[in-house]
Amino acid sequence: MILAGLDVFANSLDFIVDRRELLLEKTWEHVELSIAALLLSILIAVPIGVVLGHLHRGSFLAVNLANIGRALPTLVVIAVGFTIFGIGYTNVIVALVILGVPPILTNAYVAVDEVDRDAVEAARGMGMTPLQVLLRVEVPLALPLLFAGIRTAAVFIVATATIAAIAGGGGLGDILVNQAAYRVEGLVAAALCVSALALAADGLLGLVQRWVTPAGLKQQISTFEPDVRPVV
Amino acid sequence: MAEPVIPDFGEASDCVAENRFFCTDWVRENWDPVLQPALVQHIYLTAIAVGVGFVISLGAALLAHRLRYVERPVAIVAAVIYTIPSLALFQLLVPVTGLTVTTVEIALVGYTVLILFRNTLAGLRSVPAEVLEAARGMGLTRNQTLLRVELPLAVPAIIAGLRIAVVSTIALATVAAFVVSKGLGGPILGALRLDFRTEIIAAGALAVGLAIVADGLLVLLQRAVTPWATARTAT
Amino acid sequence: MIRKHNRRAAKAAFAIALGVAIVLGGAAAAPAGVDRGQATPIIIGTKDFPEQYVLGQLYKQALEAKGFKVQYKENIGSTELIDKSLRSGKVTFYPEYTGIMLSVTFGKKTLPKTALGTYNLAKQLYGKRGQTLLKQTPFQDRDAIAVLRTTANKFGVKTVGDLKKIPDLTLAGFPQFETRWAPSLKKNYGVSFDFTPLAGTSAYTLLSQQKVLAAAIFSTDPQLISTKYVVLSEPRNLFGFQYVAPVLDKDLVSENGSSFSSTVNKVSALLTTRAMIAMNKAVAIDKKPAASVARSFLKANKLN
Repeated sequence: MILAGLDVFANSLDFIVDRRELLLEKTWEHVELSIAALLLSILIAVPIGVVLGHLHRGSFLAVNLANIGRALPTLVVIAVGFTIFGIGYTNVIVALVILGVPPILTNAYVAVDEVDRDAVEAARGMGMTPLQVLLRVEVPLALPLLFAGIRTAAVFIVATATIAAIAGGGGLGDILVNQAAYRVEGLVAAALCVSALALAADGLLGLVQRWVTPAGLKQQISTFEPDVRPVV
Repeated sequence: MAEPVIPDFGEASDCVAENRFFCTDWVRENWDPVLQPALVQHIYLTAIAVGVGFVISLGAALLAHRLRYVERPVAIVAAVIYTIPSLALFQLLVPVTGLTVTTVEIALVGYTVLILFRNTLAGLRSVPAEVLEAARGMGLTRNQTLLRVELPLAVPAIIAGLRIAVVSTIALATVAAFVVSKGLGGPILGALRLDFRTEIIAAGALAVGLAIVADGLLVLLQRAVTPWATARTAT
Repeated sequence: MIRKHNRRAAKAAFAIALGVAIVLGGAAAAPAGVDRGQATPIIIGTKDFPEQYVLGQLYKQALEAKGFKVQYKENIGSTELIDKSLRSGKVTFYPEYTGIMLSVTFGKKTLPKTALGTYNLAKQLYGKRGQTLLKQTPFQDRDAIAVLRTTANKFGVKTVGDLKKIPDLTLAGFPQFETRWAPSLKKNYGVSFDFTPLAGTSAYTLLSQQKVLAAAIFSTDPQLISTKYVVLSEPRNLFGFQYVAPVLDKDLVSENGSSFSSTVNKVSALLTTRAMIAMNKAVAIDKKPAASVARSFLKANKLN
């Protein structure tokens, strides 16, 4: 059984070499889609989360949004989106954004909400306006946790884009849902590619996360991790 | 050969013919043959994954608690598997274990173990040093301390982990339908092909509903076991 | 107080969890073992589309009505997958299309010129593997190409060859369609197209949403009842013959006697094109469950 499995893996490497244009094309589609969805999610989630956190309002919603996001099976979101929008890009982007916003929003909220009150007080004492406090103190201090959320969302979006193929999303999912056409070797090859893509996205954003963490903060990063769900 | 008798199978209701979003008549007619079996299969898939995952993760956490060096490798493997999209993980297992429930369960158990391991270990570690000293002072052995002090105090974290694990597994189990036709993902995939809205909405609602109900039950369990913990601890 | 409460709860929780895990583990493992030492089990499998669900249910229910014990594995997947299940014994009976038997399962590039020739060759090839075929159905379900009636009128398209008249022809179909037929369509009719493989939705959806100009479909699709679509004729019969015949383990026939084979053949004999399209319509368009549709049909024809 295991030996047969190894055989398939060897053949899948052949597939990667033989069909590299196809895989490259699909990987590129996948990356494009993921980046678009991630940017849109950031655009929506960060302002809302940061403002709510600054005002220390809406904690129930913001924190539980991650829980709700966790309970939404991606397949369901895409399928329901299909019933509304039909096949195509719109449906897929909407689904990806719906699933990408919660982790970013929740993290943005908690990150700003939990900024050291002393630092905020000190800034106020120095005469900064609320906006200045937000932009010059809270946001920089919140960046590490915020980026943790973006990282989670990015991996999540890459993974979800895989399933989005069934609604016309394109990307490596096109291969992964088509056993009949690409056979097990093709599916394994695509699975390896998308895994590499997800790991690369995670690694890259991890580096960015470390880069935006001010030196003095590296010890103080909150251990709060709102969305530990595995990626679907 | 004689021509067969073709009975009247019954026309589709207007609702179905127009492909409206939710046709209660279809749901009622198809609850027994389609929706209920899928729901039951889904519960089974989840229960097995969480049950087996719980046992494994408990063992792994106890081991890591005793032997510090175990944690790092497990955490690294965890981080990698976590990041791999579930559909990809399923397909990577297929060459080895085939298009079976086993393949699905291995992946689901894997994800569950990672969640529960992390939470159980954190729970075990959260026991304050003073408490441990007191226990030692009272003459408890290491194992007694574990059984009578550390594990009980870790229960809140474990249940919190169970909550996440159960809800995540219910969501992931929908993807199982790409491998083997079981669980609520099956009707959804079939309905996508037929462009049939009601079935998608019905099966989808069941999946989300199941997650909400399971989460709710576990919250009750959490409250029952740790009445002093407030609702503010969101995870 | 708190500690005692917690301790008891913890012990109870662990005991329950352990018990549950053991019971579930046992339950999961139990059905997996099929006793191969005794009679060959009747395990009917089907591929992953409605016509197959109907066929599977028909054979399953008819056999059960005669007292046979049948296991049922619906929705296994494509031809390659279900053939693999057949060879490994996970399935011992499934309905297959005679042309597909030759072109996909046995990899034949050219098909026989007659329906009977197709059937006999397939039977012979299966025979070498320990399987056999029972009688084939009156209906066949083969590949066809359809366009919207509006498209047909606009470009004057009646046959597959006429597709040449459509500029920038886009065609949607199951991925296998391109690999199997694109080269011979080009060669025999000079037709080429931009192919959209189906991933999760139906070709008819894409056709009616006008995302493609033509669709690779099947001749017993119930959507064809609507006047919206026109099926193009295919004079050279490239698409071969696709009558359905049950493929099964030889032992099933020898072990279960004439009652088994005659029941299956009686069901097959009833499946005319009209009957099949009616049942496909009930399942795919009217969204009735395949099991009930099969039951009604068998009842009306006194086979259950």
